[in-house]
Amino acid sequence: MIFKALSKTGCLVLLSLVLLALAPGCSRSPDQAPDQTTDQNREQDQNQATASLEGRVEVIRLSGGDYGYPSPYAHYPRGPGGYKMCLIFDSLLERGEKGLIPWLAEDWQVSDRGKACIFTIRQGVVWHDGRPFTCEDVAFSLDYAARHPMTWSYVFGAIQNIEILPENKVKVTLREADATMLDLLGKTRILPKHIWEKVDTPKTFTGPNAVIGTGPYRLTGYSREHGTYRFEAFDRFWGPRPRVGRIEFLPVSEPILAYEKGEIDLVRLSPDLLPRYEKNPDHRIVKSPGFWGYRLLFNMAEKGPLQTKAVRQAFAHAIDREELVAKIARGAAIPGQAGILPPDHIMADPSVKEYKVNPQKAARLLESAGYPALDFDLLCSGREVRMAEIIKQRLGAVGVTLNIISVDGKTRDSRVRNRRFTLAIIGHGGWGGDPNYLYAHCTNSFSSSTSPLASGGTGTASPAFAALLKAQCLETDPEKRRRLIYQIQHLAAEEVPEIPLYYTTAYNLFRPDKYDGWLFMFDHHSLEHSKLSYLDWKGEI
Amino acid sequence: MGRAVSQGQGRAGKTASYLATVWVIITLNFLLPRLMPGDPFIFLSGEEGEDLPQITEAQRAYYMDYFGFDAPLHVQYGRYLCRLAAGDLGQSVYYNAKVSALLADRLPWTLAMVLMAVFFSTLLGTLLGMIAAARRHQWADRALFIGLILVSEIPAFLIGLVLLFVFAAGLNLFPLSGGMTHFADDMSWGQRAADICRHAALPVATLTLARLGGIFLLARNSLITVMAREYLVTARAKGLSRARIFFRHALRNAMLPIVTRVFMGLGGLVGGAILVENVYNYPGLGKLMREAVAHQDYPLIQGIFLLVTLAVLTANFTADLAMQRLDPRIGRAGMAVQP
Repeated sequence: MIFKALSKTGCLVLLSLVLLALAPGCSRSPDQAPDQTTDQNREQDQNQATASLEGRVEVIRLSGGDYGYPSPYAHYPRGPGGYKMCLIFDSLLERGEKGLIPWLAEDWQVSDRGKACIFTIRQGVVWHDGRPFTCEDVAFSLDYAARHPMTWSYVFGAIQNIEILPENKVKVTLREADATMLDLLGKTRILPKHIWEKVDTPKTFTGPNAVIGTGPYRLTGYSREHGTYRFEAFDRFWGPRPRVGRIEFLPVSEPILAYEKGEIDLVRLSPDLLPRYEKNPDHRIVKSPGFWGYRLLFNMAEKGPLQTKAVRQAFAHAIDREELVAKIARGAAIPGQAGILPPDHIMADPSVKEYKVNPQKAARLLESAGYPALDFDLLCSGREVRMAEIIKQRLGAVGVTLNIISVDGKTRDSRVRNRRFTLAIIGHGGWGGDPNYLYAHCTNSFSSSTSPLASGGTGTASPAFAALLKAQCLETDPEKRRRLIYQIQHLAAEEVPEIPLYYTTAYNLFRPDKYDGWLFMFDHHSLEHSKLSYLDWKGEI
Repeated sequence: MGRAVSQGQGRAGKTASYLATVWVIITLNFLLPRLMPGDPFIFLSGEEGEDLPQITEAQRAYYMDYFGFDAPLHVQYGRYLCRLAAGDLGQSVYYNAKVSALLADRLPWTLAMVLMAVFFSTLLGTLLGMIAAARRHQWADRALFIGLILVSEIPAFLIGLVLLFVFAAGLNLFPLSGGMTHFADDMSWGQRAADICRHAALPVATLTLARLGGIFLLARNSLITVMAREYLVTARAKGLSRARIFFRHALRNAMLPIVTRVFMGLGGLVGGAILVENVYNYPGLGKLMREAVAHQDYPLIQGIFLLVTLAVLTANFTADLAMQRLDPRIGRAGMAVQP
């Protein structure tokens, strides 16, 4: 912890100094090789030349780290292990730039009032071992995932029945209607039946057979202790042509130094280093959508002033979210929205009202609610203490005294989960996902999940609000559901069940001459996690 | 006869005390991770940009059952002891692999790095200590004293960062990170060994520098103390050469506290290794330990702590043996001799 805390700032300062001091040596363009060029760098240069000739890059190198064996069961729950696995394994639907797109399923149709979905399965697909992919594989995979939860499992315990129909169709019936069904089923990885039907303990099943998929890449190298992966393009892949021949993930100490030395091809850039690359045509900077964010939780299960709407609205008027973005995120973030969904979300309603910073109005609201002076404990982890201090200062100005309780992250998480807090700050990703998370954020249902998106909700939504939240869970018509989600955002802005503080927007840096195929999935903040980033994607199959 | 019985009782007592220590360690290893708040399946928050899984209560219940964490504590403890007796350290929750396999993957890297650092820091520290003691109150002594005091006060990770920026990033003499070059399948054995040494150079140098000051001070003070002893006055009176007095009589006696320090400090080195391995992204045990604690991976935390504590006990035992060899009076009459 000490290392983390010290190294974050210390490292940044040192890094900035060293980069400035070494500017002449480090600012060479990729084709200006240093005196001591390694074989690796020479190979990269040759690859670049090849790339410009064929429109295909031989190798892309990225920051590695061990995230587990990339099978749907063996990769680790945290970190990007799942996205590496997705390079090998396809799903029925894929996450495109604007929403879910057809993938192993060419088409789908929701039936039985949202309880069932019929998928039309793509033909002509082969597994990495050359065997043909069939509807049997789809039915088997969904059934298997319903019995053994995959590390990123979405259907465990949710499926009632799976049926193979004529004309390459598979019908899946859920135990209850669910608006997120397409998302749940569509993202589940499809396994080869001929391999996995013999496996009883999938979590410990590793080896070459455990990574046979239909995806665009095959695993050709993995080292657990070094955290390295090598993926090679599968030449019989059914879909868009892979633009990258080989993807290698390597251990990196300081990513920006590794990028400067040409060891990796994509890096997340600290806002402090932005001026160094902004005007350099050799580099391109792309801002991530704000799908990773911090929020302030109110424990409304506790009797007291927080159950009063005016008090929560006063908080929203008192906290300056722009100030948090400027001082804590150093500009690399979007201020939190009262409607909860971040502005980059595909279902965000831009017309939802916002709370302007207005200490006088906040004080008036508190006074009218009968609480001219209040005193609360604010729970946070060591990482958020500075954020908590700024919030304390702003709330102090309107008569609310905060006592900051800083604990380690796990203790904070545990106390939030067990409702042993009054106010708390937590930070997590997934804000771009299905807006069903609004249900958990605004009601009292957080105990149904240990996940960040569904946690912390101790809201006491008004009956009308609760009814809308429930209705969107069951609405399977996309347009009708969108309208419901819009209404929910307006009500959230009115009732303030929580305060999103800000959504981080990282800067991504890469050399377009080397590779420029990077793109975001509609609901995620990392370029390198999108499978489409490595394919010759033209917007449709 | 009576002495033999008492020696036998003493040995039995010592064995019993070692066993009791091991039992206490095993029990603490079991309890400590479970006393931490939360469990391995709560994912409410993460580091900025980090992806967290979504886990439903049904899934959590499945995993708690799968790993046996839903059983009462005494049942889990009993199972843990039985498995341990059979040599099974259990299954890591986060890494999804046998704890023994994970330790076997990482241990050689840390062990090699730590042993190299111990070797170099002891050798260099003792040599510099000898120079300083022999040149006491002269400029060389003062310069070494001030210089090494300053270095020993710098935290290991900071030394690591400076070395990384200067020698790896700036001068391009060493690799930035990792334990070896990857996906270079055409390397010969010799090239591979040289490559591993190049990758280990900066981590070993960092740990060596971090330990150097302590060893230097100990060697210098120990030598200065020993040089003032009466038996050395006798040695000088006998007309022995200066070199013989210094190396054969003074240094051998001065080595006792250094050897003790080297072995006793092995446990502390693991702490240093955690920091250094994180700076260089070196594939060792220290990095694994940090991750195991961060993810509340009970079986892995237990396995690592057990390994480290057993290593410290073994180091102490080896220190006893080494001291007996250096000073035959130790252990023979059951008395410890202070230098």
